[in-house]
Amino acid sequence: MTSTKTDVVAEGLGAAKAPRLSVVGFLMALPPLLLVLFFVGLPVLIAFTFSLGFTTGPNRVLSMIGQEIHKKDQWWGTFSAYKDVIHDPRFAGDMRTTLAITFISTTLVLLMALGIGIYQRMIGGRLASVMTALTLVPLFVPVVIAAWAIHTFYAGDGFMRSFFSQFGIEFPTVTSTVSAIAIGTIWTSLPFAILMVTSGLQSIPDALIETAQDAGAGFIRIIRTVLIPLAITPIVIAGTFTAIGILGSFTIPLFLGPNQPTMLGVEISNFFGAYNRPQQSIVMAFIVFASASGIALIYIWANVRSAKQSGRI
Amino acid sequence: MTDSPQEEGLVLNGLTKILGGRVIIDNLHLVVKKGEMVSLLGPSGCGKTTTLRMIAGFLIPDKGDIVLNGKDVTTIGPEKRPSAMVFQNYALWPHMTVFGNVAYPLKVRKLAKPEIEKRVHEALAMVNLMHHKDSRPGQISGGEQQRVALARALVQEPDILLLDEPLSNLDAKLRVKVREDIRDLQRRLGITTVIVTHDQDEALSISDRIAVMNNGKIEQFSTPQELYDRPETEYVANFIGSLNHIQGGFADGQVISGTEVVGIRPEDVHFSTEQVPGSYPATVQLVVPRGHFCEVYLKRADVELHAFISLDVPLAGTSGFVKINKALIYKDGKLVRVA
Amino acid sequence: MAKREKSRAKSSSPVVKALLGIFMLAMAFFILGPLLWLAIHAFVTNWTYPNLYPDGWTWHWWTQIFANSALEESIRNSLIISPIVVVLSMIICLPAAYAAGRMNYVGRKTFLIGLFAANSFPKIGLFASIATLYYALNLMGTIVGVIIIQLLGTIIYMTWIPAAAFASVPRNLEEAARDAGASKFRVFRTITLRMAMPGILVAIVMSFLASFDEAQGTYLVGAPAIYTMPTEMYALVENYPIQIAAVFSLLLAFPSVLLIGLARKHIVGGQLAEGFQIK
Ligand SMILES: Nc1ncnc2c1ncn2[C@@H]1O[C@H](COP(=O)(O)OP(=O)(O)OP(=O)(O)O)[C@@H](O)[C@H]1O
Ligand SMILES: [Mg+2]
Repeated sequence: MTSTKTDVVAEGLGAAKAPRLSVVGFLMALPPLLLVLFFVGLPVLIAFTFSLGFTTGPNRVLSMIGQEIHKKDQWWGTFSAYKDVIHDPRFAGDMRTTLAITFISTTLVLLMALGIGIYQRMIGGRLASVMTALTLVPLFVPVVIAAWAIHTFYAGDGFMRSFFSQFGIEFPTVTSTVSAIAIGTIWTSLPFAILMVTSGLQSIPDALIETAQDAGAGFIRIIRTVLIPLAITPIVIAGTFTAIGILGSFTIPLFLGPNQPTMLGVEISNFFGAYNRPQQSIVMAFIVFASASGIALIYIWANVRSAKQSGRI
Repeated sequence: MTDSPQEEGLVLNGLTKILGGRVIIDNLHLVVKKGEMVSLLGPSGCGKTTTLRMIAGFLIPDKGDIVLNGKDVTTIGPEKRPSAMVFQNYALWPHMTVFGNVAYPLKVRKLAKPEIEKRVHEALAMVNLMHHKDSRPGQISGGEQQRVALARALVQEPDILLLDEPLSNLDAKLRVKVREDIRDLQRRLGITTVIVTHDQDEALSISDRIAVMNNGKIEQFSTPQELYDRPETEYVANFIGSLNHIQGGFADGQVISGTEVVGIRPEDVHFSTEQVPGSYPATVQLVVPRGHFCEVYLKRADVELHAFISLDVPLAGTSGFVKINKALIYKDGKLVRVA
Repeated sequence: MAKREKSRAKSSSPVVKALLGIFMLAMAFFILGPLLWLAIHAFVTNWTYPNLYPDGWTWHWWTQIFANSALEESIRNSLIISPIVVVLSMIICLPAAYAAGRMNYVGRKTFLIGLFAANSFPKIGLFASIATLYYALNLMGTIVGVIIIQLLGTIIYMTWIPAAAFASVPRNLEEAARDAGASKFRVFRTITLRMAMPGILVAIVMSFLASFDEAQGTYLVGAPAIYTMPTEMYALVENYPIQIAAVFSLLLAFPSVLLIGLARKHIVGGQLAEGFQIK
């Protein structure tokens, strides 16, 4: 009468509490992984060896065309290209600009997102909805257009200068300055941050806010002790995604920034193309990647923290 | 308690299930008659849901067989099994209307449109929900959702109806009403039913028989009355109703020293101011009103007992006589005799 | 309720109202100003600085765009390539998203973070590095090459958002359907897929935009053989009067506005935000 049966049905349905990675599931997950491994992982790996001075094999052509190529002098390669970049005064300026813009824009974007999110959560009403809808507009607009629109708006013959000159005020030409890059990155990053933050704040139950009010907490105190701690995960995610996006941005600084100093995204392209120094270009890409990884760690930490809190791991 | 032919509806034969490296269900046997309503009763985590999910086909037992109306269904998937389940949180599909939810099983069975319409209407009428036919699950109350889930199960005309704590999300009053409704429907349709609950009141009031579970095993399977009068194990006696629990022995209506366990139901403790045969002097220590009866704490020379008394409730400090009408005597957790 | 009223009452003093109004106007100006300024240029003959009004109105630039075969071709390329990219992305990523949605937490996290890590390598650096591989595979200047480049940018949307959507379909809604007699496939089609649909829709829209707007990679890989609308825009900006770029911008923005309009409810409804938290 007794027989041993396998969990065929249980798989994926009954075993919800401890699902295992079945073979089929693994195969299903494979295609995007392979695509990414082949078209991102592989080139990045090859590029990394190139940055270390491996100039043969797949890197042969680039090494022949490019200028100031360093060949490896140790079995593991050489840091000469990295030294080149780090000692390049151009790079120092670009790196400072990139980090400063990333920091300032991310902070401002987060503050705006928090302001609008808290306004919508605590006060609400039509005005708040209209405002949120308005801030989503940049999501509709391709980056190229956004960059060009902002370019013309703040240009020497743009609206801002035209408008202020009616009152005899000389408004500065913002286009082609570092400030224009900041404006552009804020403009394009707003929607995502606002979506993350508002949805995080909206999911806080009324009861939690109301008990705090009952306990006598004021507006600011509620924000500080209830809203922000409870929505910290989406806030951190918004911040890290925004920062990583800005860090690697290209079109915005290309259209809006000055020639020097500019953001590293543009410089990577310049070094690769115009200056024909591919090795240095790749090195810069890895420096940006390293910075992005640092930020990504914060993102992972935030996710793990929220997973722990809700008992998922 | 049904008088229908005593045919076997559901047989669980030596079911064993290991989950996460632990034996959750351990060699479980159960025979449910056709048209019978059986409760699985037990504390949280004892394996009620696991058992039900094996009957429904969501889990396949590691050992043992499940026989439904004479047919072995042990390895048949839930979609082919003639069982219908009502989930604890109802599991209504939010993207379908009430009608759509109830019609789904029939659409799957590829019934003709008019037939589907007719049967869904019947099912909805049965649970008094025709007026909510076009509502979405999110728009109706918890009790109504519960009834939709029931209608969705009944419309399948299953051989067996499985209910996993179907009432636990309802308020106390509604719970009593809905459980009567379920019982009525079940009787009317004569459908074999297994209902999981951890509420003994619920189990006692609606089941033909109750299976009391403990640690993946069935401790006792009998009618509510029997379960109450003759709990076969100490565990069951404790779980069902209230019990005075005394270490010792029992002789001549008195508790004596000993190695057994004496269980005395508070209803079986009789207090009176006059001495009758078998009663001994006692004083009233404390009286706690419990609604339509009082819980009275009594002290006797041999033992302290609490009793449920509804008529002529004595005052604290009164002296009188206490007679123990019935005692259950357990040795090693098993019932050895009733005195 | 009373408590909410209180907070509402507190902040509706005239000063606060005025401040909010000013903030709102400033935001509107900041966001819409540049777009309007550019859009108006599509219809003006010339605009002399520092006048607030253009010199005159015209449809001239629109006819010019449609007379220019290079521009027309870029529009056609975009309208062909982007849908292909989205469909391919769905085929490649949706099964994976489903699997990821059903993996345990650690498995799902590893999968999604892995894709995320690949995505946070600066795009421009990747495009520079990918050239070697592209030459080796003869993908330079081909449609396939462009499609692959654009595909890479959609993966993050097409896995993350649907994975979250699949993961959030309550398991017992599926079980109830199995119990009702539906086959596994039918359960997937009528319950799981149906309930994950808003998330998938948002993923489709975001992927389409990512592909449609992609310029850097497409330029590096496609030019000079293949131009799409955004890469054409680079050329326009350099070589044509601002009015032509303005017309082209309006054309380029049209599909985005249309698509987002369709999916707006779900995007604002939290599907996008849900998708970027690993649950
Ligand atoms: N997939 C699983 N993996 C590991 N352990 C499990 C799994 N499913 C259930 N269990 C364990 O099996 C035991 C019995 O679970 P079950 O859900 O059957 O209890 P129950 O009697 O229905 O309890 P409750 O009244 O709380 O619903 C529990 O200890 C539970 O933790
Ligand atoms: Mg249970």
